[in-house]
Amino acid sequence: MSEAQLFEELANAVYAGDDAKAVELSRKVLDAGIEPLKAINEGLMKGMSRVGDDFSQLKIYLPEVMLAAEAMKAALAVLEPEALKRGKATVKSKVVIATITGDIHDIGKNIVAMLMKANGFEVHDLGRDVPIDELIKKAEEVKADFICASTLLSTSMPYMEDLIALLKERGIREKYIVMVGGGPVTREWAASIGADGYGDDGDEAVKVAKELLQRRGAK
Amino acid sequence: MTSIWEVIDRTETGTYMEETDFDLKIVAKKCKELVKEYDIRYDPKQIITSDDSLADDVFEAGLRLALESGIYCIDTKRLVKFDEYELKEGIISAPRRLLIGQNKDSRILYARGIEDERAPIICGGQAGAAIPEEWYLPMAISYMKEPLIDMINNGGLAVVEGRKVRTKTPLEIQATRRELSMLREAARRAGRPGISFIAAESSVSAMGDLAIASERYMRRTDSHLVALLNELKTDFDRISKVVNFYEYGAHNVTLVDPIIGGYAGGPEGVAVCFVASFLLGRVMYGSDFHVCHPIHFRYMSTSAPECMWNLNIVGQAMARNAPFIIMGDVWTSAGAGSEMVFYETAANTIVNVVTGSHPLGVSATNGKYPHATGLETRLMAEVAHAAVRSRLTRKSANAIVVELVKRYADRQGKPDVGKPFPELYDTAKAIPKPEWNATYLKMKKEISEMTGLRF
Repeated sequence: MSEAQLFEELANAVYAGDDAKAVELSRKVLDAGIEPLKAINEGLMKGMSRVGDDFSQLKIYLPEVMLAAEAMKAALAVLEPEALKRGKATVKSKVVIATITGDIHDIGKNIVAMLMKANGFEVHDLGRDVPIDELIKKAEEVKADFICASTLLSTSMPYMEDLIALLKERGIREKYIVMVGGGPVTREWAASIGADGYGDDGDEAVKVAKELLQRRGAK
Repeated sequence: MTSIWEVIDRTETGTYMEETDFDLKIVAKKCKELVKEYDIRYDPKQIITSDDSLADDVFEAGLRLALESGIYCIDTKRLVKFDEYELKEGIISAPRRLLIGQNKDSRILYARGIEDERAPIICGGQAGAAIPEEWYLPMAISYMKEPLIDMINNGGLAVVEGRKVRTKTPLEIQATRRELSMLREAARRAGRPGISFIAAESSVSAMGDLAIASERYMRRTDSHLVALLNELKTDFDRISKVVNFYEYGAHNVTLVDPIIGGYAGGPEGVAVCFVASFLLGRVMYGSDFHVCHPIHFRYMSTSAPECMWNLNIVGQAMARNAPFIIMGDVWTSAGAGSEMVFYETAANTIVNVVTGSHPLGVSATNGKYPHATGLETRLMAEVAHAAVRSRLTRKSANAIVVELVKRYADRQGKPDVGKPFPELYDTAKAIPKPEWNATYLKMKKEISEMTGLRF
């Protein structure tokens, strides 16, 4: 199998959510002496990019995106350590994301988390009904670039304001790019509370995250 | 029917399962399998289908999903399952007719059939929205003074006495009580003191709900929504709401809002999930009626073609096999003040009344902005009555809806969100301002000419 074929197969395995195949092909990459970083970028990332595109057009659905993300994770577990050894691993931008205090609606947040993973971000998903201090604690722990908060409830939106206020109070506001979103959250409101970014949907959230990162100075 | 005591027991004794396994190995897997087995297909040219066998297939697949999945309780991570006898008992015992409201303002809410020639019950309000406290009263009056509106489901309060309401804090109680107090006051001022409410929208957790079980706030001829969480899940907050109303005696209503593109898959899987949710909601919550709210993963709006196809097929599946009382949501991308809101409202409403549900809305801008008034809901009511008076068949209704969709579908991603209520209404008199009224008259004429509906 040529290098190009191997990358294509890797992309297909990720797209199909076939974690066993993705791992098998990743081992073949290493056995063949191919640069693992190249396999990540031209195989895994291409597969996830197709996943993101097809999900946007409703050709596939959330379960397929989740399975693809799992396949990618399994393949990365094989390729990344070797890439690190060679000193060529990319440093990913880190995202801490959660549905904020008082709210248990998490599908919107899950979609954003999956699409961010699909676009190469390292995502730490804390789940739902997450207190703001836990979001900050995790962001500090993993040295995150982004703190992302979601809610479907207008009565949980004030906790997003509290999040930004607490970051300011602790003198660490500038360390993070804060993004907010969810059913009742509007662009205007996000700006009014001093959030850095907002996405009307998952696609926009990823696009805005990339733009904000570029503006800050891409990693 | 299965008692609420038994339901609570099952949340503690059912099979233990990790939530991701339930999402992927039960809901996603089974929806996909059932859609394939029954060969259920969404056709954007048949937003309203005349195919009875498709409706029956969706029902049968949904019944099987209900039996195999049950409801997942996220607090205990256990599956609450019901057997076929229990589900069928839920169908047989479900109310076909329900008295809502009081005295001259009372209505009979009933299970609509396909191409039903009876006048539908119109439920008006910007459901699901956070409405500013200072406009809440005049906005509620703007709906209640519309003579074609039979019952009210307005939004909640996110601010009470100038304080931002945070979930699960004492202010949730204050906001829910204030919401009900203002609705009562609005009903009195509109001369409709007995009008029925679907309310307590400010109660996100069970706290607010527990605080309004009193004739002073929520009457026993009123209703509250108890959601099934996405997909086929519940928690103790939802069950607490149910328990409270069981004893109090007002109506539990299942709100079902599966996401197209989510765990249930595409439009077809969501239709199967809907039927399962209604059947399970009936036995789990003892619901007297149900709200059908398909969510589009990007636009949210029920007026998106995939969502209207769901309203259509689920309405027909239930009407033919388990005639529950169903209200179909009318949630538009566009806001009051725009022309687009009328196209979306007309299409969505026609789908509902022809295929077995009563219209509930208009929740303009999907409740994102308080850009809503009684006027677009007047058009919803007029279209609903005209569709019935014109005896629209499914086939003729489909042709109209497909044409209407062409007027807005490509703008749902960037809709005209319109203007806030006070810019469109004289808030003191609760009447539309001349410009907004002129837009309404223009659009009503255009829709009448386009659809052939006689208003």
